[in-house]
Amino acid sequence: MTDETDFRKPIIEFAGPSGDYYADTFLKIQKAKLPRFHFNRAALLGSFVWAALRGNWLLFTIGFVVDLVALINLALVYKYTQAAADNADKAYLVERYEGWSQTHLIGAIIVFILGRLLFAWLADRFYAKQYERWRISHVVNSNFVPSRLLIALLISVLVLPIMLYRSTQFAPDERACIRQDRAIAQGEDVAFKAKFDCMIIGEFPTLFWIQRPDEISYPRDDNGNRIVLRTPPAEDAPPVNLNTYTAQTIDDGIGYLTVFYGAFFDGITRFLRGMLSAITSVFVGTPWPVTMCVLLFVAFKMAGTRTAIFVGASLIYLALFGFWQTAMDTLSLVVAASIICVVVGLPLGIWVGKSSRGQTIITPILDVMQTIPSFVYLLPAIAFFSIGKPPAILATVIFAMPPMVRLTALGLRQVAENTREAALAFGANPRQLLLKVELPLALPSIMAGINQVVMMSLSMVVIAALIGAGGMGYVVTEALENTETGRGVLAGVGIALLAMMIDRVVQKANANRQ
Amino acid sequence: MSKSAKEGVVVTQNVWKIFGPRAQEAMEAVRRENLSKAEVLERYQAVVGVRDVSISVGEGEIFCIMGLSGSGKSTLVRHINRLIEPTGGDILINGVNVGDLNAEELRIMRADKIGMVFQNMALLPHRSVRDNIAFALELRNVDAFTRRQVADRVIELVSLQGYGDRMPSELSGGMQQRVGLARAMAADPDILLMDEPFSALDPLIRRGLQDEFLDLSRTMKKTTLFITHDLDEAIRMGNRIAIMKDGEIVQTGTPEEIVTKPADDYVADFVAGISKLKLIFAHTVMRPVAQYEASGPSLPGLDACPQATPDDDLDVLIARSVGQDNPIVIMSEDKPVGVVTKDDLLRGMQGEV
Repeated sequence: MTDETDFRKPIIEFAGPSGDYYADTFLKIQKAKLPRFHFNRAALLGSFVWAALRGNWLLFTIGFVVDLVALINLALVYKYTQAAADNADKAYLVERYEGWSQTHLIGAIIVFILGRLLFAWLADRFYAKQYERWRISHVVNSNFVPSRLLIALLISVLVLPIMLYRSTQFAPDERACIRQDRAIAQGEDVAFKAKFDCMIIGEFPTLFWIQRPDEISYPRDDNGNRIVLRTPPAEDAPPVNLNTYTAQTIDDGIGYLTVFYGAFFDGITRFLRGMLSAITSVFVGTPWPVTMCVLLFVAFKMAGTRTAIFVGASLIYLALFGFWQTAMDTLSLVVAASIICVVVGLPLGIWVGKSSRGQTIITPILDVMQTIPSFVYLLPAIAFFSIGKPPAILATVIFAMPPMVRLTALGLRQVAENTREAALAFGANPRQLLLKVELPLALPSIMAGINQVVMMSLSMVVIAALIGAGGMGYVVTEALENTETGRGVLAGVGIALLAMMIDRVVQKANANRQ
Repeated sequence: MSKSAKEGVVVTQNVWKIFGPRAQEAMEAVRRENLSKAEVLERYQAVVGVRDVSISVGEGEIFCIMGLSGSGKSTLVRHINRLIEPTGGDILINGVNVGDLNAEELRIMRADKIGMVFQNMALLPHRSVRDNIAFALELRNVDAFTRRQVADRVIELVSLQGYGDRMPSELSGGMQQRVGLARAMAADPDILLMDEPFSALDPLIRRGLQDEFLDLSRTMKKTTLFITHDLDEAIRMGNRIAIMKDGEIVQTGTPEEIVTKPADDYVADFVAGISKLKLIFAHTVMRPVAQYEASGPSLPGLDACPQATPDDDLDVLIARSVGQDNPIVIMSEDKPVGVVTKDDLLRGMQGEV
């Protein structure tokens, strides 16, 4: 057994001054014999100064924040006492401010006492952790270094005055600041305090104002061709901030594209409409008994009896409540969007899965596609394609495609290296490798991707009712506008059943296939 | 060496493999300054996988490459069908430099000339046993009917009759490796690369498959490179053995040479635990008759002594010697050529000859 002094020596080396105290404490911690209410007295008195000297910046932050909060509360006490004195003629204001000032006084005391106790309680425990880290790497701060106080001082000087000033002042409102900016622009003198308040406490200041961009329109010239017409803004038009300027520029860009490349967007619209009408004619054009039987049969074949019964019940619900046509409309949109997602997403996924360049290019785009809220897609869709079903399909495709790409790529990357190697060793060329080995092995992942695509398409198609996609989503939007709760609930249940039907069937089919 | 390099079906000439982004740089430095593995790692952050290996495998020979994990044996064998490109040196197959082939020629060579068996089988889980076996043929666009015929014949060779339509996941490990073997042989290649084919199997099944493979290779006469980390297996399987350590070949020789004349302590350590009964032959342990008689006793009549030939191994000699007082006389062409006493036998078992 190692002697206890062997344990103590590195601790004393680590701690420097009062090494014996820390050796005792750390040993107690290691033996799990530290009393429940063990406080470090130096930490209790010194708080963040102690933490800085000991080089533990986590404890420093805790101690600093505790003291800062207590101080701010005291500053608020001062602020509200002051305010009460300023409004001495209004009894109700005096009463309110004095109440607040008392609350903050109590707050300050409680925060200070409890905070310091907590700090002193944590101090040795965290310090012991720091010791463990130090043992692994001597880069970790150790010993008692007065020069670290400089950093503590720097932080205090940066943070404390401005925080205290902020809590003793009432913040100026935004409009007042804008007005003040204009006054400065016109050469008026504004008191430094007012300027400072607007710069530092309140909204982030508008650092620069930009001349409003040219008004752009696209009239036809004498030959009937579109031209770009720039109208400079009026002389006295107030300047705008960066947000307004950029938004205006984006609008101009979109306007330019739609005017001069309209044929391209019209082409896409026409293609989508054609594809959709073909699918719709199948779903909606076919008499309901035929569609219902076919759907039931497909469900039975792919997913078995139980799922078929569920699908049957759901279809009957939709039919009984008069949602048959609207549900089929929605289904057509989902099918159209899903087909495009798969047709575009599969090759993209293969590219991402097989080439590292594909991955670096596509992955950030997918990240953006998935993080942007789905409502935001609707705006550019309208801008380029106006309202109706084609832009709804496009917005849906953008929303629903990422999982297809990701899961295809994932499936390809999961193919074991030695399987690939074996295929190569038997003389497979890249195409054979992909078609005969990689894609079949990635199939479960690809099927999961298709399932995701269908589910996400359905949810987006409902939202896309806002830009005229029609279908079940339209019923819900309409109910929302007219606050018809009952109708909304019925349609909502219908959408949920539609989603569950598709999900059940696809998942069961997947499971059965394996 | 039993065959000269010119006759070798598979020949590697000074093959080097250095892994890492600065491999070429490291290669030049090694050629210039003869750096050690550790020095290359320190200076170029590059790992030497194979170090200046030259081997020559003759036609129909089973050539074992033995080494512990990390010794570079799997890396070396992957150079032969260019799954790994060498950093330096050449690989010749039937005199053709593999490095000179273009992509299409390389694929044809892999499909026609070389079959490979992997330690982890690496079967395709979505294909039936028959389709797995016919995979190389399918890659060469052989029609389905011929594929089926060939596959069924190979299935019989590895005694998997009746399993052609099963999926690999339904088979035991040993049977899966038979499929792996069948797949390697289906295209009737000249060369078999076997990368620790039996290492993942339990001892009994391994033994069975080794015997089956030896039987097969006796009839089919394929040039085989057999990778193993097990010296017992190397000795059982190999006509010749190369022992690898840290990417280098330490010793090449027949099993008997390896066991009786280990090149260094590393090999000697390996050999220490090996049973010599089947490896050492009468011609190594016997003493000439004259030398025996010079040492004292005179040889009793030939009829009173047990007899053996120079090519009998220790195992046979011991069996003959049991219950006999007289030493064994080794006969060649009806003439006594040597004598083996019980002391000689005991020393032979220790490998001290």
